[in-house]
Amino acid sequence: MSPRLAHPRHPHPRRPHPRRPHPRGRSRLTALAAAALAAVLVTGCSSAVDELSAAADEPQQGGTLRIGTTSDIVPANTFTNSSETGDVLVGAVYDTLVDYPLDSVEPAPNLATDWEFNDDGTELTLQLRDDVTFHSGRPFTSKDVEFSIKTWADPLWTVQLQRTAAAVTGFDTSDEHAITLSFEHPVSNIFDLLDMVPIIDSESIDQLRAGTAWIGTGPFTFDSWQPGSTLSLEANEDYWGGAPLLDGVDVSIIPDPQAQVAQLRAGQLDLVTGASGRDIESLGNDERFDVTEWVGAETQVYVGANVQNEALSDVRLRQAIAFALDRDRIVEDVYRGAGVPSSLPWPEYSPAYDAEAAATYDYDLEQAKALVEEVTEETGQVPTLPLTYPAEQTDFGAIAQIVQADLGEIGIKVQLDPVEQAESIKRLIGGEFEGLWLLYHSYAQYNPSTLTVSAYPFNADKNTSGYLDAQYQKDAEAAWKQKPGEVSDEQYDALNQDLLDGAFLLEIAILHPQTVTSTNVGGLDQSKRNELRLTETYLAE
Amino acid sequence: MTRYVASRLGSAALVLLLASLGIFALIRLVPGDPVTILAGPDSTPESRAAIRADLGLDQPFFSQYLTWLGDLARFDLGPSYRLGGSVSELVIAGALNTIVLTLTALLIAVVGAVIASTLAVVLDKQWLNNLLAASNTLAVAVPTFATALILVLLFAVQNRVLPAGGTPPDGFFARPDIALQYLLLPATALALPAWAALTRFLTESLQSQLEQPYVTTARALGIGRRRIVLTQALRNALPSTVTILGIQFGTLLGGAILVEAVFAWPGLGRLIEQGIAARDYPVVQVLLLLSVVVFVLTQLATDLVHAWLDPRVRLQGVS
Repeated sequence: MSPRLAHPRHPHPRRPHPRRPHPRGRSRLTALAAAALAAVLVTGCSSAVDELSAAADEPQQGGTLRIGTTSDIVPANTFTNSSETGDVLVGAVYDTLVDYPLDSVEPAPNLATDWEFNDDGTELTLQLRDDVTFHSGRPFTSKDVEFSIKTWADPLWTVQLQRTAAAVTGFDTSDEHAITLSFEHPVSNIFDLLDMVPIIDSESIDQLRAGTAWIGTGPFTFDSWQPGSTLSLEANEDYWGGAPLLDGVDVSIIPDPQAQVAQLRAGQLDLVTGASGRDIESLGNDERFDVTEWVGAETQVYVGANVQNEALSDVRLRQAIAFALDRDRIVEDVYRGAGVPSSLPWPEYSPAYDAEAAATYDYDLEQAKALVEEVTEETGQVPTLPLTYPAEQTDFGAIAQIVQADLGEIGIKVQLDPVEQAESIKRLIGGEFEGLWLLYHSYAQYNPSTLTVSAYPFNADKNTSGYLDAQYQKDAEAAWKQKPGEVSDEQYDALNQDLLDGAFLLEIAILHPQTVTSTNVGGLDQSKRNELRLTETYLAE
Repeated sequence: MTRYVASRLGSAALVLLLASLGIFALIRLVPGDPVTILAGPDSTPESRAAIRADLGLDQPFFSQYLTWLGDLARFDLGPSYRLGGSVSELVIAGALNTIVLTLTALLIAVVGAVIASTLAVVLDKQWLNNLLAASNTLAVAVPTFATALILVLLFAVQNRVLPAGGTPPDGFFARPDIALQYLLLPATALALPAWAALTRFLTESLQSQLEQPYVTTARALGIGRRRIVLTQALRNALPSTVTILGIQFGTLLGGAILVEAVFAWPGLGRLIEQGIAARDYPVVQVLLLLSVVVFVLTQLATDLVHAWLDPRVRLQGVS
């Protein structure tokens, strides 16, 4: 039972000289505490705080893990990784056919025990476990794999990798414990799909969509969901991989990150997922909490450029902006060091990773100024560029101001344009950003084709930037239509060059998600999909 | 009277109909599209079209409006786009939480105001009056969310004596002692501005009562100040105070939105905030319409009672 904690951080395990409160201040505090205590005594003998803390006070096999999340389940989006509570639910209740280790794209067995391609990579036969049942008691068979992939491909579910799912054209389910998938062409990111698609129960699909039941084959069973409030899961004692150590999981949905942190500090929660960078830094300095950075489930923050904008249609201006971004400052100031500055989206373990290429647009004001001068000599003064970002997320506000200052250094004026998240998604999908925008993207932790074929900002055929380049389209298509593991380094180099030359999405940094836990939580793990793996999680002294 | 009632009912129905149309149209004018939010940034046009059709948003505006009106007439509020469950169940659950929080805050405000005002008037000490005046100013001046954060810091984080937020795990009625502890901090934060207003009003009412002739007579008969305040002046001062309770209740309901955010209290405030963020039309429409219904019904009841008491009003109203 070795937890795959990436980087538990204890920057200051114990403060050498704890500051003593001023005696008068302490007595006031004591008086206030006494008043509250009196109120507690008046209201009855039981303490709500004691009852909340009881589960975590003793080492035990069992207990209920209490998680705080900031966003609730959206049943129609159960499989889109779009909410923290949804991620906990899917990771705990469902299994997938294969499972990527956190820091690799080499598939490991899960519900599928073994697999084999035909020679040209257009057929994949998977052997399935024969000892798995759904939480309803029904045995898992190859028909369930077919149903799950077809549901995934259904436009109504709006999931990632629909193009890859649609490339699966045939299902041979004649053997209950084996399935052969046929493809239109070899698909280099097919295992990404098999790592993402949860095996769902066909008999309860309507309940799933209505948000009344989620039935899978995973280590926890769905117990209850109070929209906007709580989600409860119970241990699946009959889990094929062995029963989890925990008795259950309770998720509290707390949209305000500060309220979430307050509940963690108050001992009402064991784990929080949505704390801000500054709160995480502060909690990491407190010996009662552990901060874990998950290398392998990255998110990227980037500046997008609408190449249909007259000024931004000149690639030299976009490259000047890329050179002027002070990525180190953004990572340090905004994300408190929990990320890696980069000009390309790929993390180190990605087959497309190239350290030299990732440093192409390292901060270089002289180069940026020279490019801007070149442009202004030919076309005149660069007009003021709007920079749009979702106003609800304070991180973006801080980054926008840094970008504004950075571009000001090279003579480009930027007008900040904060909009609601809802509006920013609409503009992203519709390609309606006027100039520059700030957003996150993900999926670079998978095979590179998942990003270039499926992620909308990068999609070579149609993207938010309005950037269409025949070479990029050709290279993206060629890398996708290969047998897994057979895409050459040269093909990835070509893709990287396309992204760098086009400079339509200017990466700022690769960010590592972080969770904060009380020190009594052990055995925590996470998947590439940002879902917690709780099978071996335990609560200890 | 019957004609007057019919006329008032008719105008109330017209106001509700116009309000429903206004709400239905306005929410659709707000930038942002529920389909793109549900579908997500990497969705395909086919996905968005399928979702739009599934939600009925591909229908013409008036067709959608009439469908909604028809559903409302059958008391079928439909499902939430975002949460999937029935809107009526979501609203009832949220309303229960908000009402429990608001009523508790009102109780704290009223009891606190009665105690503070009575003490101030009975003891009649300058330092106490100054203390109350300063507390009142602070309670009104400091924003509710700031008070809430300070309370959390003091009583939940620094000293773990009360929960930092959330609702009782077993509901409000299974364990009243536990439920009360969950309520104490949010209700106190919410109650403070109302307590200040009520205290100031009640203290002034009590002081004006003490200037009445019956008090002079009682003092002449040798009855002590404390007894006069507790047995007579307070009873006479309370009715006028009750009239501002209604206004304070409205203020408390408004303040509940902020307090619900700080204390992760799943009430109506959170429901409408998240509904607006996700452009969850069915939820937002119903909550806005509900507030109009409450206002219209209150106004209607006031008009009818007024008319019942004063015949001139109903005659004027009909003519």
